[in-house]
Amino acid sequence: MASVPLNDRNVGLAAAGKVVSPASGRWESVAMVLLTLGVITCVAGYLALRPREVGPPAALSWQVRSFDGLNAVDQAIHSALLPAGEEIIWNNNDTGGWITLEHAQKIVLPPFYRDAFWKSNGEVHWQLILPGSHQAHARTPDGEVASPAQSPSQVSQATQGQGAAVYYGAGGRLPGQSAYLLVIGHAHAGVMWANQATIWVHPNPNAPYPGIVKPEALVSKGWRQVIAYDGASEIERVKGNQP
Amino acid sequence: MIASARLRPRLRGCLALLVLIPALALAGQAQAAAKKLKIGVTLHPYYSFVSNIVGDRAEVVALIPGEANPHNYQPQPADITRAMSLDALVVNGIGHDEWVGAIVKAAGRSENLPIIQANASVALIPISGDQGGAKVVNPHTFVSTTAAIQQVFEIARRLGELDPDNAATYRRNAMAYAGRIRALRAEFMNRFAGLDLSKFRCATTHAGYDYLMQEFGLFVSAVIEPRHGVAPTARQLANTIEAIKKAHVRVLFAEKTFSLDLAKPIEAATGVKVFALSHITGGTYSADEFEVAMRENLETLAEAVEYTQQ
Repeated sequence: MASVPLNDRNVGLAAAGKVVSPASGRWESVAMVLLTLGVITCVAGYLALRPREVGPPAALSWQVRSFDGLNAVDQAIHSALLPAGEEIIWNNNDTGGWITLEHAQKIVLPPFYRDAFWKSNGEVHWQLILPGSHQAHARTPDGEVASPAQSPSQVSQATQGQGAAVYYGAGGRLPGQSAYLLVIGHAHAGVMWANQATIWVHPNPNAPYPGIVKPEALVSKGWRQVIAYDGASEIERVKGNQP
Repeated sequence: MIASARLRPRLRGCLALLVLIPALALAGQAQAAAKKLKIGVTLHPYYSFVSNIVGDRAEVVALIPGEANPHNYQPQPADITRAMSLDALVVNGIGHDEWVGAIVKAAGRSENLPIIQANASVALIPISGDQGGAKVVNPHTFVSTTAAIQQVFEIARRLGELDPDNAATYRRNAMAYAGRIRALRAEFMNRFAGLDLSKFRCATTHAGYDYLMQEFGLFVSAVIEPRHGVAPTARQLANTIEAIKKAHVRVLFAEKTFSLDLAKPIEAATGVKVFALSHITGGTYSADEFEVAMRENLETLAEAVEYTQQ
């Protein structure tokens, strides 16, 4: 094998190490930096502005969530009022009348039915108040209903036109227990699905009947609307909005 | 003779009408029968609920085999075939039937199968006991009477929307069924009436009975499983045993269809008496299964409460 002279080898290396500049000069590096910044900006922009999954509505200041805002007794009574409200509405759609508390005893309808549930959940005294029929009451220590303190005509005037049937529960004996309202808005008699039930609680278990059961009036008197954390809300939380 | 000859075509016409009218009526009936909705259900209680709501106006189809455990179910090809022909599907939606999404998707029905979320309007409550400070939704709304009634009403309402011709019947049947469930509850409530429930403390192995307890004004002090269907670690078990002792729990409710492996050491360590309740998620599908299983549950619950009075 013939050996290459040292001087010739140096000349060859110098030729191999020659730097060839790109035709675009330094702009290639600048373009790469700008492209990288652009990608980062786009990703950051998408993350900031992407459509978020809508969670269940949070309770407003005048509302309380049944799931984590009520104590066990209030929660139990609320759970019983929900299907009772549905049955009352259906019954009204079919018959035009309201389930009286006497009839509730016959059809063993909780929370009005006076059974072990009623007993262990504070023995709440319930009244059905129809538009114009309210007579304010006060519960005496022995559980009897005292004579009206307010003239029926006054309250009748206040409730006229609201079209709401109200199941009012007060006088619960357990510590921390609330007073309750099941308000069934009755838009037009005989119109299917026109009724809507809302449930309200008051921290004073002996809170007087509010007279006017419109939301603003109830809120001003310290009543809070119970927002059920229901299956639809849970599915929405877990899976996002469902079709 | 002439008159009878004139009458003959009319008589023939009348005869033809007499034959045609019943035939048309029968055809109408056959058409109505053909229009029967085919309603799928994922869990045993929903088979009972829907069967009692629809009566003979619709067909109820169990999506998975009766003996399958929904807690860890893997969809099978036959389930997909069944899902293909359904008109609606009733699901729990908040637990136990997460696998239904895969079945519906595989059946190509994701876009056109109405899903009825039975719990859509049920007020959920958290799992009792210590869940690490978190409030975790309890999905066992079907092991109850009040929450069960709420689901019956929700299903009836949705079915009425899908099948308006039978909406009134569904609603009427739902109310009658709710009345039967309430009567069952009242029967046991009367048995509870003379008992002192204030000192009743219980623990459960599975967090399946909070709704049932709530209805009777009873509360669960501790749940052995740290999460739904998850066995506790040795440390968690030790903590639960400590909690049971501190709360003076005298009764532990285990699950009828599950192993008692978890209940036995707790019974030995704390002296609690073990009773078994049904989760109503296994066995043969039937219209009266819910009422039968719930009667057994209420009987067991009454026995447990009576035991604590001794």
